[in-house]
Amino acid sequence: MAKSLAAEPAGLGRVMSPSGTDYSRALAVRERRFATALLAPAFLALMATTTFPLLYLIWTSVHRMDLAMPFADGFVGFDNYRELLQDSRFWASLAVSLIYTGTTVVLQVVIGLALALLVMGMKRGQGLFRIIAILPVVLSPAVVGMVWRTFMLAPEFGIVDYFAIMAGLGSQNWLGDPTLALVSVVVIHTWQWTPFAFMVLLASLAALPDDIYEAARIDRASAWQRFKRITLPLLRPAIVMVIIMRTMVALTAFAAIFTVTGGGPGTATEILNLYAYRKSFTELSIGYGSALAVALLIVTVLISAVLFAVRRAR
Amino acid sequence: MNMRGQVHFDRIVKMHGNFSALKGIDFTIQPGEFFALLGPSGSGKSTTLRILAGLDMPTSGTVVIDGKDVTALDAKDRDVAMVFQSYALYPHMTVFENIAFPLEMAKVGKAEIEPAVREAARKVKIDHLLDRKPGQLSGGQQQRCALARAIVRKARLFLLDEPLSNLDAKLRLETRIELKKLQRSLGVTAVYVTHDQEEAMTLADRMAVFMEGQIQQIGRPSEVFAKPNSVDVAAFIGSPPMNLIEGRYADGHVEIEGHRLRTSHQIAGSRNVIVGIRPGAMRLEAGGLPATVDLVEDLGDTAVLDLTLGGATLRARVSDGPVPKEGQAVSVTARPEDIHLFDATTRKRL
Repeated sequence: MAKSLAAEPAGLGRVMSPSGTDYSRALAVRERRFATALLAPAFLALMATTTFPLLYLIWTSVHRMDLAMPFADGFVGFDNYRELLQDSRFWASLAVSLIYTGTTVVLQVVIGLALALLVMGMKRGQGLFRIIAILPVVLSPAVVGMVWRTFMLAPEFGIVDYFAIMAGLGSQNWLGDPTLALVSVVVIHTWQWTPFAFMVLLASLAALPDDIYEAARIDRASAWQRFKRITLPLLRPAIVMVIIMRTMVALTAFAAIFTVTGGGPGTATEILNLYAYRKSFTELSIGYGSALAVALLIVTVLISAVLFAVRRAR
Repeated sequence: MNMRGQVHFDRIVKMHGNFSALKGIDFTIQPGEFFALLGPSGSGKSTTLRILAGLDMPTSGTVVIDGKDVTALDAKDRDVAMVFQSYALYPHMTVFENIAFPLEMAKVGKAEIEPAVREAARKVKIDHLLDRKPGQLSGGQQQRCALARAIVRKARLFLLDEPLSNLDAKLRLETRIELKKLQRSLGVTAVYVTHDQEEAMTLADRMAVFMEGQIQQIGRPSEVFAKPNSVDVAAFIGSPPMNLIEGRYADGHVEIEGHRLRTSHQIAGSRNVIVGIRPGAMRLEAGGLPATVDLVEDLGDTAVLDLTLGGATLRARVSDGPVPKEGQAVSVTARPEDIHLFDATTRKRL
């Protein structure tokens, strides 16, 4: 068999090979070069805008770089990180970050899923609901923060405060009280980003086949059993994906909190990102601020790794 | 045999907006019967099954199962099992979990579920696949899994919505035979929707022929085949379909294209009729209708001839004797008792 195969193209071989194979190899090399040339600009731009700043950040984090005291600048090794581990404000901001992320993500998924289930059951007006729901997402977080601070939460004048007074709770200092301020920023983030979870989960719900729900009805499953045994497991990939994406964004949230509370009162709403910003650009201690940013990066990567592992499981 | 599973449909109407999908369906299915709903697509047979299952509600009319009015009951409260055309397996569950699901929903104890699932899987020969997910099964195996999920519950009614239509031809034949054996051994009432008249003929004890939202005829397959009660049923049942030619009846004879054939029908007076002759009942004998052979389809043991007779085209299936050549002139006839007569205006059997 092998012999006949080898014998067959012998006549052709005189024309084709060995120069034929050389030619195709040359062609492959040339194509690879062309592909590299096409990729190069994008690759370089990406390197310049992401990889280089990241490396520079790590480089800065092992230096003392204090704009208020430039004479003391210099390489300090892991001193910034050692200081960070002793820094109670770092631990406090990390805790705020985790609370903020945990609550906002859970609320977004739960409310988003509830809304998606509700809208799936709607016979009319689904399209309108989708458009209304998407509006908060397209607003800039900074604008959202300003709107909430002025129109919604301002004592006496804000809509939320008005309803609190109406409900007999009295006027509250929504952004001045440490606990209420944290609740407020959580609510604002949830308000803005739940539509994202809603849209993703609605799309996944719509893609689930009707016939398995009919089969489940025939199999005598109640509405709750159908939700628990069929909808939830089938939506699991979408839910995990929403959790991953929203967690990463929540961990690195900035603009809304910055415009609403600036991290205050005191450090009540100071998430790690905001602490790094304050350290770097308010206290001008850029080296230590960089170390904080690297710490945030490590936390984000670790949490993402865990979530991706969860996603792969099963 | 258990005596559960009697079904009665009373004047069931189903409207989709202004379109009436079912225009008043009446039938009764006896316990243990294999009942086929046969008809072309869009004739209302699947809608009928879905109303019986409780997946859709009729616009008016009553569904009675075992003497109890279940019209307003949801599917989950009707104690029926169903095999879907698409199989509708739960994609995230293993075969075992799929089959166990209806038992879990019925709060059957864990200790009973395991042997019941294995028994059902064994009956449909997928007991070696229990750990697989539906996505890892072939079409035929998925179909068996859907069957096992339906039989594991021992429901009083077993509904099948075109269960074989997604299988290849060979597997369809095999499964058809097994399905019949399975239904007999379980003794359960089965309602089977199909557009394939061969499936209905071979499987069903009785069948209802659906056309445009109405039942045209109910009866045993052999009865429906032997005595179709309208031109539409006659044209639908049988392969190749019955030859239907306009003609005229007068004292024991029909006149087709100016030629006379004797029939065993005795009707008073003379009238315009539609004459029906099954291809298999056509005989190539002298003294019949002169025709020309247009085309010969040789099927090995039989041959189907396309014949031209004046302006009409007829088909004849011949299984013995020499097969005529294309272009050859032949004489065709049929025995008097093989000639069906239908009224030319009402299209009903005479």
